[in-house]
Amino acid sequence: MSKLYTFLKYFFITFWTVFVVAPFLWAVSTSFKDFQSVNSKVTYIPWLDFEPTLEGWRVLIKSPAKGGVDIVEPYFNSIFVTCTASLISIVLGTLAAYALSRFTFKAGFVRNNDITFFFISQRIMPPIVLSIPFFIFLSTIGLLDSLLGLVVVYIVLLMPIAVWIMVDFFNRVPKELDETALIDGCNPYQAFYKVVLPNSIPGLIVAGMFCIIFGWIDFFFAFILTFTEVQLLPVKVVALNSSITPWWSLSASALVSVAPLIIVAFIVERYLSKGNLSGALK
Amino acid sequence: MEEQMAKIDLSNISHTYNPLDPKPTYALNPFSMTWENGKRYAILGPSGCGKTTMLNIVSGLVRPSKGEILFDETPVTDLKTEDRNIAQVFQFPVIYNTMTVYDNLAFPLRCREFTKEKIEERVKAVSDTLNLSSFLNSPARKLTADQKQLISLGRGLVRDDVAAVLMDEPLTVIDPDLKFRLRRNLKEINEQYKTTLVYVTHDQNEAMTFAENIIVMDQGEIVQVGLPKDLFEKPKTTFVGYFIGSPAMNIFHSTVSSDHEVKINDTTIKTNSNLENLKDKNVKLGIRSEFIELAEKEKSNTVKIKLTRVEDFGNFKLLTGKMGDLVIKSKVEREKPIPDGELNLYFPPEKCCVYSDEKLV
Repeated sequence: MSKLYTFLKYFFITFWTVFVVAPFLWAVSTSFKDFQSVNSKVTYIPWLDFEPTLEGWRVLIKSPAKGGVDIVEPYFNSIFVTCTASLISIVLGTLAAYALSRFTFKAGFVRNNDITFFFISQRIMPPIVLSIPFFIFLSTIGLLDSLLGLVVVYIVLLMPIAVWIMVDFFNRVPKELDETALIDGCNPYQAFYKVVLPNSIPGLIVAGMFCIIFGWIDFFFAFILTFTEVQLLPVKVVALNSSITPWWSLSASALVSVAPLIIVAFIVERYLSKGNLSGALK
Repeated sequence: MEEQMAKIDLSNISHTYNPLDPKPTYALNPFSMTWENGKRYAILGPSGCGKTTMLNIVSGLVRPSKGEILFDETPVTDLKTEDRNIAQVFQFPVIYNTMTVYDNLAFPLRCREFTKEKIEERVKAVSDTLNLSSFLNSPARKLTADQKQLISLGRGLVRDDVAAVLMDEPLTVIDPDLKFRLRRNLKEINEQYKTTLVYVTHDQNEAMTFAENIIVMDQGEIVQVGLPKDLFEKPKTTFVGYFIGSPAMNIFHSTVSSDHEVKINDTTIKTNSNLENLKDKNVKLGIRSEFIELAEKEKSNTVKIKLTRVEDFGNFKLLTGKMGDLVIKSKVEREKPIPDGELNLYFPPEKCCVYSDEKLV
């Protein structure tokens, strides 16, 4: 019985690993193929099945004049917009979350929970609903097709995530911790940044991770709110496609797009595996 | 370091957590009390009786709905917690996870900008008292629950200028052996540094062994303040009688039959209380099981009971008997032979307490 269980366990782990890793390997192998090796017959292993070429990668940095699409500038645009918006969202979101967790607000029938829900409700709405207001808003203030405009919109999209995660996190930090800090002689601001904040690093990391992921992968708003001046990576990757699908350069661009998230995953994983992300104070 | 310990006055304090309600429920009913400098107090009462609220009012975490707090005659009611010079230890360990044990203990001193030498000296003294010296450089989060609570305690004791150290059931998570030693340590600290200690607990033994003065609370009301002996021998209300002592005080429904006598069922019991104004009224008679004596034969102030159970506790025997439908418990010496079936119990008049409307006459 237990043998069967062990067998099934390893079987499913192996199956799942293949399921997850295979597309990546497939993309890696495809990125080194040329037109011939993709379209003639199915090929797997470089040098054996096909002759590897760097053409798929070269197209990504070559000037458009030679038929390539430059993704270097959009890449850095994406990094800039994602990081700036995430950072601002985390700072504002953490402050908002702390206030929502520790103080009581009353405005008519609105209470703390209603305000928290208001933040989260921004994510419940389908993005398409927001596209026209955002478009009109940015065009009115003249930030359409600009990095700053994108940062503003992404803050609106990412801050609810930060607030949501951090409210939950702060609610699990016993209020006695703040009270002890007050008794020990901190004023409320010192209590927050000397005691509560250092204890909240795991929560901040999780919130930061989600902000970076959601910011990085957004295609919709990047597509609608930019034209020629500024382009973000997801839009540019899609723009690679033409009448003949260039699988090799698509694979290569997919890999470089995923790379930053893989790095983030490796950094966060160290904190996740310590097991101190949720019950940091128990 | 100048002496900053203070006499703490609570004047007409009351508190409600729903002040806007047309009929607010009070967590603390109006009371006044003075905590003398350098004494040890225990606040004793069942869960939810307002003990913690009282501490939070003194430390400034809660602003009382009504009344005033004075430290050495200076009103501090509107002073913020961080300006009050009070140390408070909570029931569950609260430590700064990201700091070492040393930094945890030094934190209150650093916040108040003590000199480096002073901090070192105080942290060393406190860590010696609490057996934490060997952990000073380890991260606080790596310690066990009771060591963590020692850190919380240490942070309360590390400042020698506090007006009072308030402790909210601080030894709940600490194992019994260490508990006993710590209680003695706290007593020594109090005697040595003359720090006012206020200790909240629901454990009467803890309160009795720790404090000079015990404040018994029930449902937001202070029912009795006194020495352990007073609480035991002359409980001011039937609640104190039930709550203090093990087993609880024997309490019987009875009627006043004359100036000094009450009737339980048909037995007349003489007391030392003056019952002139309560003639024929229904009252309650209370007597500690420790004070009830075995009588050889029926005489005045004895009741006849049917023995239902004898429990041997090693150092004494606890007799449970029935008089009609009333249950009586009596503690007797282990050596005493216990006759079977019916026996007579003697109620010494000076030990009988009469309660009218649950209050001592």
